[in-house]
Amino acid sequence: MDLDTDVPMEDVSEDQPSYQQKTTKTTTPDLQKENIGDLDQWIEKLKNCEPLSERDVKKLCDMATDVLQLEENVQPVQVPVTICGDVHGQFHDLMELFKIGGPCPDTNYLFMGDYVDRGYYSVETVSFLVCMKVRYPKRITILRGNHESRQITQVYGFYDECLRKYGSASVWKLFTDLFDYFPITALVDNKIFCLHGGLSPMIETIDQIRELNRTQEVPHEGPMCDLLWSDPDDRGGWGISPRGAGFTFGQDISEQFNHTNDLSLIARAHQLVMEGYAWTHQESVVTIFSAPNYCYRCGNQAAIMEVDELHNRQFIQYDPSVRPGEPTVTRKTPDYFL
Amino acid sequence: MSDLPSQEPEKAGSRQKSSVNKTNEAFVSTVRNAPNKTTGIDAVHINAAREMVKLHTRDRLPTNSVNNRINTIPKPLPRPSNNPHSTQLPQSSFATPRPSASLKNIKMSIPAKGHEGPCTNPQCAHCGTVIIPAPKSSFPIMDKPSITINDWSIYTIKRPILSSQELDDLESRYDFPLPEMIFGNNKVRLVSDQFGTIEFNGLDALDSLNKESDFKVSYHREWLEARKNKMLSESFDTSEKKSKEISNLDLSKITDIETIKNFDWTYSVNYKGSITGIEFKPTNDPFPIDRLLKPDPILFFDESVLFEDELGDNGISVLSTKIRVMPTCLLLLCRFFLKIDNVSLRIRDTRIFIDLETNKIFREYKCQDCEYDEVLSKINSKNLTDPKSLLRDSNWVANNIPVNSVTTETNM
Repeated sequence: MDLDTDVPMEDVSEDQPSYQQKTTKTTTPDLQKENIGDLDQWIEKLKNCEPLSERDVKKLCDMATDVLQLEENVQPVQVPVTICGDVHGQFHDLMELFKIGGPCPDTNYLFMGDYVDRGYYSVETVSFLVCMKVRYPKRITILRGNHESRQITQVYGFYDECLRKYGSASVWKLFTDLFDYFPITALVDNKIFCLHGGLSPMIETIDQIRELNRTQEVPHEGPMCDLLWSDPDDRGGWGISPRGAGFTFGQDISEQFNHTNDLSLIARAHQLVMEGYAWTHQESVVTIFSAPNYCYRCGNQAAIMEVDELHNRQFIQYDPSVRPGEPTVTRKTPDYFL
Repeated sequence: MSDLPSQEPEKAGSRQKSSVNKTNEAFVSTVRNAPNKTTGIDAVHINAAREMVKLHTRDRLPTNSVNNRINTIPKPLPRPSNNPHSTQLPQSSFATPRPSASLKNIKMSIPAKGHEGPCTNPQCAHCGTVIIPAPKSSFPIMDKPSITINDWSIYTIKRPILSSQELDDLESRYDFPLPEMIFGNNKVRLVSDQFGTIEFNGLDALDSLNKESDFKVSYHREWLEARKNKMLSESFDTSEKKSKEISNLDLSKITDIETIKNFDWTYSVNYKGSITGIEFKPTNDPFPIDRLLKPDPILFFDESVLFEDELGDNGISVLSTKIRVMPTCLLLLCRFFLKIDNVSLRIRDTRIFIDLETNKIFREYKCQDCEYDEVLSKINSKNLTDPKSLLRDSNWVANNIPVNSVTTETNM
């Protein structure tokens, strides 16, 4: 096989130097020709929505750990980039996303977490994104969402799906161990702060996030938990959910954070919105949700946000990829319920 | 996600644009015959996809005239044994199936008499008569089937979750955040010119919430303690604070965080329907279960979700409706199901029974509550790989937790 010209080594040299890239240059293990072959083969297989073998998942996760552990808590990302929200195992809609946003690696992508659970194809979805990450590490950034966790995936589907597709929990364990290395936030050209959930009362500056130890299961409290869980709210200040855990943050908080850190925007995912994206806090926060017809029944649109070299933003909305095979499967017969 | 089918759908791995012009049926069989093995994912373009939706929407339109259909009302479909959502009827009622219904005296109209626009009732693929729910994973923007039998017209409407605009318009109505998935346009409506209207919709249901909930999520204490310690160490001169005060769980007193907006975050509605023109009085007559055990043909069937919230991934809160209409009676079930992981389970069922021959209406309201651990202990986990999956099945839960209260009412 010819050596692909789009290997990450090329990416490293083409961008302007930064702290992160210096690190990469010296420490990222070069992708071996053999590994590239494997990866390309796996990507092709996954594009057909066929899961990898357990052995290949093991190999993939080892490679991915090498790549992801060197990334930062606040991973720097260059423009242009296309920013995406929750995918939730809706594999065919993810393929639609790449069709609409442009194929990777020609287009740079930043995903803000929640790849697994709820949809039927969490295994294929996360395998595909991790393959792409290892194959084109500078072209695609994958952040951690609150569903990239051992505890949550046991309740919301990924664990069950792994059992069903592999007959054991070993693939689930490989992936959830890998999730601990995912970066938790990203900073696009020092101006757009991207993360899955939202702000934390314990975090005032982005530098404070750099101090966190992220390689652990998502905790139930603390700044790392908040970054993956919190939501913006119409009320000002910090709010506590009546559930008894979790924060909401008001417009004053967002504006102060953006001012302190010289940001233009906080981009986050985590919440379903009918239009696929929603502005809040007078355009200081945007929510992006990229799973159309969420759970195969919400009827919502999905959206992605393209940011170009001049920081112009454009939203692209899309409908679910219609799959004629599916309706006949999920159709319910009338039943004599009581 | 109790409502998601547990079965993994058939993989329709690849599609080709050229297939779009074929009929839906031919297309489906193509996909079935060659799953996974053709060229890569070739997602149908948006426009092509819309064409596709039109195609199978059209396929579901009724082809027979109404009269034909009445003559060919099928035997009740055998209930799929692997469907966890269907309630098991006592075997005896099926041992000697004796449908109670004589179809000769029924005045039926499909769609309902007051229906506007073309009939969109989904039709049974086999006989074209039984009205089945719309396929969930397809993307019809709106489904609006209906039927009239004797004095009663039955309408169901299913639409996507509310848009941002629709939510903004509702802002003044509720002073709490609405559930994550709010199907505010979904409804079931039973209308009789003579008697009145019975309707179930999610927005009215949310008007019936209590002011707050006693429940907290399972890790509430852990979370609070961590917050408290953090705040204490950072911003308080602890020497001035007595230990008594520190143990106060009211977070707002020990932090600068003042906003704890109280509302019933579990969305436990107290909803018996939106009723106009019908007066219900308590009755000692039993809810006519015997009528519902008869295997009469189902002429109309639908189910839909009115709202759903996953409680920040702490469980599920869902309000849903299910209706089946037989020749002489109908049953409507509006179920609220709550599961707070490691904390509690709750069911609140409203059942409406209408005798379509005498117009006698029954309304039953049943409340059930049980602590999570207590329910979990009832599950014989030896035979199950995932015993907790039962807790996601509201039918199983309804049959296995104690009943707190039942009230039965009637209009006559």
